[in-house]
Amino acid sequence: MFHRRRATMAAFLLPAIAVYALFILYPLFKGVYLSFTDSVGGPISHFVGTDQYKAMADDPQVSAALWHTVLYAVVVVVVQNGLGLLFASMLFRRPRVRKALNVVLLTPTLISPLMAAFIWSYLFAPNGGLNALLDGVGLGALKHVWLGDPSTALYSVATVNIWMFTGYSCAIFLASYLSMPTELLEAAALDGASGWRRFRSVEWPLLAPALTVNVTLSLIGSLKVFEFPLVLTNGGPAGATDTLTLLVYRNIFGGGKFAYGVALAVLLLVTVVVLSSATNSLLRLRERRV
Amino acid sequence: MTSPLSTTVPPTEVGRPAGKRDAPRPRTAEPWTPRRLAAGLGTTVLCLGTVLFVLPFVFTIVTSLRTAADVARSPLGIPHSFTLKNFTQAFSQIHYGTSTLNTLLITGLSCVLITVLGALAGYPLARITAGWSTAVYRLFILGTSIPVFVVVAPLYLLMRDLNLLDTYAGVVFIYTALNLPLAVFFYTSFIRQVPTDLEEAAALDGCGALRTFFVIILPLLRPVTSTLLTFISLQIWNDLLVPLVFLQDPGKRTVMVNAYSFIDPHTVQPTTLFPAALLGVLPLFVIFIFFQRQMVAGMSAGAVK
Repeated sequence: MFHRRRATMAAFLLPAIAVYALFILYPLFKGVYLSFTDSVGGPISHFVGTDQYKAMADDPQVSAALWHTVLYAVVVVVVQNGLGLLFASMLFRRPRVRKALNVVLLTPTLISPLMAAFIWSYLFAPNGGLNALLDGVGLGALKHVWLGDPSTALYSVATVNIWMFTGYSCAIFLASYLSMPTELLEAAALDGASGWRRFRSVEWPLLAPALTVNVTLSLIGSLKVFEFPLVLTNGGPAGATDTLTLLVYRNIFGGGKFAYGVALAVLLLVTVVVLSSATNSLLRLRERRV
Repeated sequence: MTSPLSTTVPPTEVGRPAGKRDAPRPRTAEPWTPRRLAAGLGTTVLCLGTVLFVLPFVFTIVTSLRTAADVARSPLGIPHSFTLKNFTQAFSQIHYGTSTLNTLLITGLSCVLITVLGALAGYPLARITAGWSTAVYRLFILGTSIPVFVVVAPLYLLMRDLNLLDTYAGVVFIYTALNLPLAVFFYTSFIRQVPTDLEEAAALDGCGALRTFFVIILPLLRPVTSTLLTFISLQIWNDLLVPLVFLQDPGKRTVMVNAYSFIDPHTVQPTTLFPAALLGVLPLFVIFIFFQRQMVAGMSAGAVK
């Protein structure tokens, strides 16, 4: 009825578009422009072409951070969704404990990344909770300086991420499970398909959309990771947990290399867009096939 | 965390708990078949796995109630005495009272703005099928995958030029802009399912567009709003970067910024660290207890075909 009145409808849209354009779209384009200048955040800047990007290509810190960011994302996406799926399929088969356990698993997602980093920084400490636990159960040989060793630091940080969001993956898979057509599942049960067969040929294809959502969500989330490496290791030891977000933050707000930081932010955007749209397209294709 | 909404199916059952459907049980019921043994074993494994996930929490709560000396003696030992002193110390150390009020104010104002602007925009986007409407919708959806880091530097300059640095208004606008894409997605897909008869009846009765919207449409959006807001308030409450960059004034800082500024986890005792962490999440747990259903629905919305 009202939607035929153009002026009225434009008025409905205007406030949202104004806020969104001013505070997101404009800074986005401004950022891309700034990455081609030598701006230090002040009023005066000169156009310098691709100088910042050339400097980025020669900077070993940047290639390392890009690699850490991608590796971190892959580890988190695979482990978090694997565990989430495992929990969801077990919970689905146990209606009596389903709701309670799902809520319990969701509790870590409620806390802020900063608080999770606080808790785990003590658990990972040399004399902290995890090593004390290993000692307690007679596995003292496995004790480790989790965050102080370059070879384990990034995986330790990823562990915190996985701990926080596995319940979230599980909730999404479980919702998908609960919306499956009962007839199909019953038909499979009647045909005597059990356990693994039923999962592989009936449930797994039906879970395809949930998998797409989960993978995309956790991928974008883990590429943007900031608080965990910031608080747990601050990029250390020896830069082993430097991520793109940390470099962006350090350059823009800590080092007077403003335009360089902005160029790094553009690199982060490109990484997120390329990886998430590529995975998304692949998973969509797969959805159509299964 | 934003979602890949550009490609997901609109949530059809937003705000409603998923239907009670159970996996078909095997029709055998004899005791102690291998299958039943396996199921029992599975349940045990499942419970153990869940316990592992909760263990860090339990440990945090227990440790925060012990004295520092007691913890240093044996981190996993049986507590000899309980004390609330750690909490009172952490409370004053991170200026918990002031910072909680600040965070509540920012979160509340942002939620109101996001709801009103998002719902208003969702109405024409859902009702108009013309090309430009789809284009605007896509532009909003694009925003769901833009990391805040990408815009943080130019945003800082913009805020400086608008004299909005160090103001609540500035932070509220940023959160509103960041979360509008998600709100627009939610409201548009929800309003699409609302039949138009009601609006037409209202129009025949001489009700204006705005009034129709606020009297007829907005109340219908209650379930989707509660789902959206539980999710968004969680994001805003827990966020560190935006207030860290845009609120320098100690009197305006949020809980997270204060916790980050005053507490270095590598130098303080867990008995200082843990109470601070618990205080930071306490209000959320209270909310979660009340809105458990909406939260779970909100988190899994969009995943259900």
